Amino acid sequence: MTVADPTTPAPVLVHLHLNGEPTSVAVPPHWTLLELLRYGLNLTGTKQGCDKGDCGTCTVRIDGEPQLACLTLAVEVRDRHVETVEGLGVGGEPHPLQEAFARVGAAQCGFCTPGMLMSASAYLDDLSLQDAPVVRREDIAAALGGNLCRCTGYTKILQAIEEVAQSVLARQQDLATSDAEEP
Amino acid sequence: MLRLPPFTLHQPTTLAEAVALLAQYAPDVRVISGGTDLVPNLKLAQTKVGHLVSAKFLEKLHGITRTDTHLRIGAATGLHALAQDGDVQDVLPALAYAASRIASPQIRNMGTLGGNISLDTRCRYINQSELWREALGGCLKSHGTECHVVPGGQGCVAALSADTVPSLIAYGAIAEMVSDQGVRRAPVAELFQQDGTWHVRIAREEILVAVEIPIPSPQTRVAYRKWAVRQSIDFPLVSVAVRLDVDGAVLAGGSIVVGALGPRPRVLTLERLAGRPLDEALAQALGQMAWDRARPLPNIPYDAEYRRERMVIEIRRAVRVLVGLPEKPLVTKT
Amino acid sequence: MTAAAKPENASQGRPYAVVGARHGKPDALDAMAGLAKYTDDIQLPRLLHAKILRSPHAHARIRSIDTSAAEGMEGVHAVVVGAEMPTRYGVIPWTPDEQALAADKVRYVGDAVAAVAAVSEDVAIAACKRIVVDYEVLTPLTTPEAALANPQNKIHEANKHGNITKQVQLAFGDVDAALSAADLVIEGHYEFHGSTHGALEPHCALAHVDGRGLLTVWSATQVPHYLHRELSKVLEIPTHKIRVIQPPVGGGFGGKSEPFDLEFVAAKLAMKTGRPVKCLYTREEVFLAHRGRHPFDMHYRTGFSADGKILGVDAKSILDGGAYSSFGLVTTYYSGQLLGSPYVFQSYRFNSTRVYTNKPACGPKRGHGSVQPRFAIEVQLDKAARALHIDPIALRRRNFIGENTTTINEFHIGSSGFLECLDLVETASGWKTRYGKLPRGRGLGVAGSTYISGTNYCIYPTDLPQSGVQICLDRSGRVRVFAGTSDIGQGSSTMIAVVAAEELGVHLDDVRVIAADSDLCPVDLGAYSSRVTLMAGNACLNAARELAGKVRQAVAAKWGCQKRDVILADRRAQRLDDPQVWMDITEAFVLAEIEFGTMGSTGSYQTPREDVHGDYRGGTIGASPAYSFTAHIAEVSVDEETGDVKVENIWCAHDCGRALSPVLVEGQIEGSVYMGFGETLMEHHHVMPSGLRTDGARRDTGPGKEGLLAHSSLLDYRMPTALDTPQLFAGIVEKPDPRGPFGAKEAGEGPLHSVIPAICNAIFDACGVRVDALPVTPAKILAGLRAQRTGGG
Repeated sequence: MTVADPTTPAPVLVHLHLNGEPTSVAVPPHWTLLELLRYGLNLTGTKQGCDKGDCGTCTVRIDGEPQLACLTLAVEVRDRHVETVEGLGVGGEPHPLQEAFARVGAAQCGFCTPGMLMSASAYLDDLSLQDAPVVRREDIAAALGGNLCRCTGYTKILQAIEEVAQSVLARQQDLATSDAEEP
Repeated sequence: MLRLPPFTLHQPTTLAEAVALLAQYAPDVRVISGGTDLVPNLKLAQTKVGHLVSAKFLEKLHGITRTDTHLRIGAATGLHALAQDGDVQDVLPALAYAASRIASPQIRNMGTLGGNISLDTRCRYINQSELWREALGGCLKSHGTECHVVPGGQGCVAALSADTVPSLIAYGAIAEMVSDQGVRRAPVAELFQQDGTWHVRIAREEILVAVEIPIPSPQTRVAYRKWAVRQSIDFPLVSVAVRLDVDGAVLAGGSIVVGALGPRPRVLTLERLAGRPLDEALAQALGQMAWDRARPLPNIPYDAEYRRERMVIEIRRAVRVLVGLPEKPLVTKT
Repeated sequence: MTAAAKPENASQGRPYAVVGARHGKPDALDAMAGLAKYTDDIQLPRLLHAKILRSPHAHARIRSIDTSAAEGMEGVHAVVVGAEMPTRYGVIPWTPDEQALAADKVRYVGDAVAAVAAVSEDVAIAACKRIVVDYEVLTPLTTPEAALANPQNKIHEANKHGNITKQVQLAFGDVDAALSAADLVIEGHYEFHGSTHGALEPHCALAHVDGRGLLTVWSATQVPHYLHRELSKVLEIPTHKIRVIQPPVGGGFGGKSEPFDLEFVAAKLAMKTGRPVKCLYTREEVFLAHRGRHPFDMHYRTGFSADGKILGVDAKSILDGGAYSSFGLVTTYYSGQLLGSPYVFQSYRFNSTRVYTNKPACGPKRGHGSVQPRFAIEVQLDKAARALHIDPIALRRRNFIGENTTTINEFHIGSSGFLECLDLVETASGWKTRYGKLPRGRGLGVAGSTYISGTNYCIYPTDLPQSGVQICLDRSGRVRVFAGTSDIGQGSSTMIAVVAAEELGVHLDDVRVIAADSDLCPVDLGAYSSRVTLMAGNACLNAARELAGKVRQAVAAKWGCQKRDVILADRRAQRLDDPQVWMDITEAFVLAEIEFGTMGSTGSYQTPREDVHGDYRGGTIGASPAYSFTAHIAEVSVDEETGDVKVENIWCAHDCGRALSPVLVEGQIEGSVYMGFGETLMEHHHVMPSGLRTDGARRDTGPGKEGLLAHSSLLDYRMPTALDTPQLFAGIVEKPDPRGPFGAKEAGEGPLHSVIPAICNAIFDACGVRVDALPVTPAKILAGLRAQRTGGG
């Protein structure tokens, strides 16, 4: 990364796992993870909306948890696993959430969508048949409590996540049933 | 976008290293943990500091341990982890609840208990950009000499806004700080002073490492209540913890702890109400006590008069829930 | 959905193939993969960053600006001040009262005075702090009352009438006679507070001058065409030397529908430095740029007959305009002109005055200028229904204006599904069995509204088309559409693709829409006043029909039949009378390309000009080719101990003519309802101090301390989260209007209007408290309940 600014403090070398790949990057200590992603690594899928942690637009997953890139010092993610919207989906196929968002119209301007997807994917990964056998809208809304959307009234976002969550639980149910049938 | 000013970041991996760094750079140094309060304050140039010492890699500050008598919670324990912890939910439900109501899921994943205790005070005249504060002409906490909340006021009255503090005080929590001078312990109730510019009695050389909370007896019941406009993201506009120590069917003692007033929480003890039955009249009496002795100021952004009324209502509701009455009074049909 | 005529593509005599299907947006996955490049996502080599220095004074004269210290800093490449771009501009050509950077005077805290281009934002920020501005501080006027009371203290010296930016007085029929003859006169004072758009993408502009001297400006704008014109005017460069590109925009809602300082600044600094320059607003700058909902102070008198007919309406409004005109001339007209339907007013007059104040300028927020009067009249109707013991829905039905008719202010109404909207929400909410029967603390409220599908006249006087579209197709089987339309998330590019795919017989995925690039696309006026579906949709339909005709002709020649016997649908050309005879659409396109050569067509749209608007001064403003209609029912519960209002459900039914993309129409309804809900209960773009203040702060208001925004972050400006938002029901009513493409009308703004009075009417139903001064707060509810108990309410 090039930083043309003569006043910038010396960059620090940081190793992290970015979307599954070991990554080394030199970054000035006062840069946030958001600035590193967007301007240092050209991963512009992660958006900036409010500057200071009020809107959730810059949500990424750090060690699996949804966190705010705009409040995270880039050098503090050393050795951590960072996932951005660019890392969702496998082998060119969209993540089921991306497919559902597109299908039901959960993205209008699309600006909050990457952050929404990161919060929603964490919610999905935490779903467990044992803890909550049915999908509850209020749980989804709670998982999205830090992600503002100005376009949709959240209606279709909740719908998309609900549909995917139901299929995740159904799959867990199938697995549980087939396990139970094993001798 | 709003930019962070340059600073030097230190990432010690041992407490000894951290303490040495703090001693070396004090007073121009701050501990950074989750960063959810400090980073916005740095971006707004509300806080200015040359050195940051990260608590992220300090093993000793993480984790929750339970003994027969106490719960010990590391200062770098995440707020989400705290809210979800089985032991905390079991013996300190009001603290678990308070942690679950902080800000948003992302911020609870990042923020820590130590960070919440140390959360800077908030005020409509300080949590603003440099341009805004310049336009205002500054205030006691920001390059000025005038308080805009209390005309003629000589001390900064920005509000303690930490959700966990009222219940920590109600539970009798003890904070443990370490510096190069050694270990210091102090009740959380005594950790705050009436100075909004620096309200936490933790020296720049010190690092908060843990809080220890005595496991309450079954006769102790604590509830935390928060009111904010939104169900998520917002700081508390009303923040109260109520502790009732009961003896059979009557009150033996307890406290009301009110946050979101000025820099210091207001603690009202209930000893003089000992012997009162656990009923609606008690709820009313506690509400009245708070009305008389705790007064929200027009410091944080909402109608202070309404916040005062709401504080009373939240206290009444807390009492009702703790004594097994319905939370809301019955509405008579008209 | 109502029983309209069987949906059919009339030009080809077959059912719709794409129109009305439950598709999403073809390009939705781009945003979700992080591939869509919004303006700030674009990086150019040797990019410089610009920051704007803003005024800390609400009202001050600039004596001098010293930029030398900033210019001398390492890493600073250029500084620009107002004197370098003195030309005044404004989105409305009649009211050019803005400068790119204030040259002589600042008029609100945040007014732009200088800008720096530097190698980094950090250096640019540091350099701004080294610019020394010598101000002569003037007395700020931060309320309309103060501004009207001090006409000699002019915020704009060149303004004719003190601080009044616009006054409109129009009267239709004898209102005084109607009111004195009325069985019931409802008189009320209503306050509507300021709110802002809150699009999540902050404004951003990027500019570059290439080797040929072509200035390219990328901007997060809703109006690339108006930006193009104003850039040319202010920078004094001919329009053909400027290219404006609007990348994907992260929400607009009216907040990006005029030129802003950052676009001029980025362009000027790019010209001065020869390097690309980007300027990105902070969130606070977005709040300062504002152009949001005008605070209104309204006094309404409405006369009714005993059977609930509206006999006369007398409306008086003061609009708090902020520091600049913006769209204010139009806002002032809209404040009265858009009230003439969906009800018959037997007589009507309004008197609206817009006032300059030293605050961020107000402008068009979703439902521009007509949301505030709609609140007043719909609450008036509710009060009348109560007083006359008429069901509030019945009262609205009784006053319905009808279809194919003319309003009292002489606007032509075409199709109207207003009654069907009322029916739908009445049924969906269980109104008949629940209204008036709910326990205390729970209530239902209804309201209705109407909105324009674009305006008949462009912002600048012209006979040029309002929308243009160019379509190409070729042997690949793919369709390319070049449209000037601005997709700001509402889905205009999808709409264009739907229209093209419907006519040309391809799938949505086969249409590539290239939009909002002034070098590539025909002119479209922009995404504002709900004009795009009707206007650009018609332009696209015209172009597509021409091209489809050629394809059908070529296929007909091959099959030896008539052109009308060939239909295009589902990637096929097919015999209308024999579905077994068909060919792949690619083959059909090949035949056409052989027959006619390279395949292209253009289509344009110009509004009807005859008999559609009033024959009086101002009678064209608010006139639209077609009107949408909406009804809302809200259900609330009120906690009488705390004053909390919880909105449990909102049912909205909206007549959009024809839903080209029902999923997207529902999205527009849901988003509109959400936004109206938020501004009713939580949001307030509040400048201290103000006549509308609710925060109870008592403070010194000496010079230099007025005009500060109380809520200039997304923390303090409280937009509802997923946890706060009620259940939203979005019902589509289709009453096709012959003036819309396939009958389509607008859906993006209408569904906001009546949610606000519906909530307030529901609050009254729940607890008997009228909140006539917005926003609704628990304190106001408690005050109302107290007044009730003491007999004052």
